[in-house]
Amino acid sequence: MLRFVALRLVMALPTLWAVLSLVFVLVRIVPGDPALVILGDQATEQALVALRHRMGLDVPLWDQYLQFMAAVLQGDLGISMVRNRPVWGEVATVLPYTLELTFVGIFLGVLMGLPLGVLAAQHRGGWIDAVARWTSLLGLSFPAFISGILMLLLLAVELPWFPVIGNAPFANPPAHLRALVLPALNLGFIMVAYVARVTRSGMLASLSEDYIRTARAKGVPARLVVWRHALRNALIPVVTVVGLYFGILIGNSVLTEIVFNRPGLGKLIVGALNDRDYTMLQGLMVIYALVVVGANLATDLAYGAVDPRIRVR
Amino acid sequence: MKRFHILAAALCCMASPLALGTAQAEKILNVGMAAADVGALDPHRAVSTQDKPVMNWVFNGLVRFKPGSVAIDGLEPDLADSFRRSPDKLTWTFALRHGVQFQRGFGEMTAEDVVFSLKRAADKDSSSFAADYANVDSITALDPYTVQIKLKQVVPGFLGLVANYQGGNIVSKKAVEQLGEQFRTMPVGTGPFEIKEYQPNQGIVLVAHAGYFRGKPKIDGINFKFIPSDASRDLAFSSGELDLLYGRQDQKWVERTKEAPGTVVDVIRPAELAELSLNQTKKPLDDLRVRQAVAYAIDRAGIAQFKGAATAEPATSVVPAGYLGTIDAKLFPHDVTRAKALLAEAGYPNGITITVIQTSLPTMLNSMQIVQAQLKQAGINLELQVVDHATFHAQIRKDLSMAVYYSAARFPVDDIYMTQFFHSRSTVMTPTAATNFSHCAVADKEIDAARVEPEDAKQQALWATAQQKIVDDVCAVPLFEQLQVWAHHTKLHFNYDLKGSLNLGPTITEASTLD
Repeated sequence: MLRFVALRLVMALPTLWAVLSLVFVLVRIVPGDPALVILGDQATEQALVALRHRMGLDVPLWDQYLQFMAAVLQGDLGISMVRNRPVWGEVATVLPYTLELTFVGIFLGVLMGLPLGVLAAQHRGGWIDAVARWTSLLGLSFPAFISGILMLLLLAVELPWFPVIGNAPFANPPAHLRALVLPALNLGFIMVAYVARVTRSGMLASLSEDYIRTARAKGVPARLVVWRHALRNALIPVVTVVGLYFGILIGNSVLTEIVFNRPGLGKLIVGALNDRDYTMLQGLMVIYALVVVGANLATDLAYGAVDPRIRVR
Repeated sequence: MKRFHILAAALCCMASPLALGTAQAEKILNVGMAAADVGALDPHRAVSTQDKPVMNWVFNGLVRFKPGSVAIDGLEPDLADSFRRSPDKLTWTFALRHGVQFQRGFGEMTAEDVVFSLKRAADKDSSSFAADYANVDSITALDPYTVQIKLKQVVPGFLGLVANYQGGNIVSKKAVEQLGEQFRTMPVGTGPFEIKEYQPNQGIVLVAHAGYFRGKPKIDGINFKFIPSDASRDLAFSSGELDLLYGRQDQKWVERTKEAPGTVVDVIRPAELAELSLNQTKKPLDDLRVRQAVAYAIDRAGIAQFKGAATAEPATSVVPAGYLGTIDAKLFPHDVTRAKALLAEAGYPNGITITVIQTSLPTMLNSMQIVQAQLKQAGINLELQVVDHATFHAQIRKDLSMAVYYSAARFPVDDIYMTQFFHSRSTVMTPTAATNFSHCAVADKEIDAARVEPEDAKQQALWATAQQKIVDDVCAVPLFEQLQVWAHHTKLHFNYDLKGSLNLGPTITEASTLD
């Protein structure tokens, strides 16, 4: 088990290296000047040159690259060029917000999507199925920023149940949870759509299996047949989707974070991109890559939990 | 299905009791700003729009712009009780107020702090405004309450450099030395509000400075929140979570927001002057007749009308109106026939194409699209290469665009704006580059002479000549002036007449109140 995890992590190294190199080059190819952002549009050319020198932007690219890689290998993501604070620190302050949002979003998505998919499969062609299919279609086709604004309009302005500004600190749990509801639901909706669809098709397949017929013939109660026997076999693709979409949702949280004014990686990355904050962008990519690699690993391990046949020995 | 009802009910129940919140006895002003984060709060480093309003609340200068005013001739004593100037305008002596306290227990402000602060503002390693102080010869403390500044040559509007704006904001020496890097987000000044906490990506928490020398502020604190999404910011204002809102420079927005009960829209100065700089080194714009054709083809009144009468005014010169020295210049009238004739005369009877690098920033892009439509009438085809804002800034400084649409406000003295945009020393891609995108050089002599001219009338005359020369040479076509837009709920009372703010956002003074 430990060996498996270690092996997977080693296998992730080339991916990480490729991502880092690509990001390093990309952020520098895009025109734009971090020095200009820091000094403002009234800065003189001399001041800009001096600042670029101080930030090490005037050394050859390969030299910058080697320095960057050497630092990353030591776990050092450097110092944000524009904000002048360690990248790790910046990320650490907002990462809990993004992870929390993503986890709760996925949790809500599964909580709603799974039963919806099962019911849809059970009542195939019926009105529940129709509702489920429409819901997933809506969830899939609504951009997060539109559904977010609609939710805010309805549940924060018209009915003042939730705050528009969702940045209540962890230190104040009631306010914090209240601020989490809308963004998590918004993110969850996307998940509901995927989970319900995959669950439905998985369930349809397993419900027509022989062992289900046998179970029914044996007189196992219908509830158990569906929720224990059939669902368990339909879960593998669901786990895959959830694992895969963990990474996608982390990315998708950019829009949700901005609409709901939550701190998070998304807001950080948009700011860093506007500012051409090279070190911050590189650091954020390292974090994203690690999160995605981690999510894939967790997915692989989850297969084993769902299906003993593929458990790693 | 039952489970769903339970879930929905649970969510609703969770929401409502919490929605009541806690009643606040404290008067906290909530301000919403269009930004993802702050750039820098150190006043000598604060260059972004979102940084500047905070400067109003935290700092003082030796003199100050009257709250709500951007008039440089209306400066009044602030940290200095009084000042004297030598007849040659080269030596200025300031008598400081006694007993002024810095925030957060950093002690009394003395001449030592003022000298330190102004020297810091003049040093390019610690200040973004160092260039403004190039003609300062020495800054000395004559005694703990007297500061003397000697100039190398006369500086137009010198008092502005020691006012509560940019480099003139006075910081605590002890705090700078003690806080180090932290000073960037937790600076210490003498103003009515002090910074209590900086929350990355979220906002800044300020509290009233109890020892403020004009008296403890009536508002207990300010929460300055970063809300980059326009729609969310508006919603937070509608829901009452914000009292003061950074608005949109958009006529429709102004009209819609005004309609809401209990809401006041504040359209304030300074205006940013939008101009189209024409690059004289690129064909066919090297021909004066072609540049004149562009000027004739533009309908300033039409652009201002399109941008909206509430937030935009037609330009009056190549320098913003209201600045020290700005005249009502003789601009080219709108005359499409004349434009076409000039093009034909220059050898382009079938019109020309101008390729322009343009920012994707919506307010700037839609103005440029109006210009594009107007120029089209005269057979001038404006080809826009739209890029993101940071790319735009980098590329126009590399002299890559045939024309540059730029919108800017500067310190309200003509010298600064004209030097940066129209003096050959500021031409892009030179070692002393600033923002002269047109390679304009016609008024160098007048701009330089005006800067050191001790006699006011002569100085004004030189500035007037410079402006008209720049207009006639069509270095840039002035378009319109864009005012700043804010909105506040009627429960907030500034308690002064809000006409403008050089720091781009309303000042909150010790006298401002919140119902």
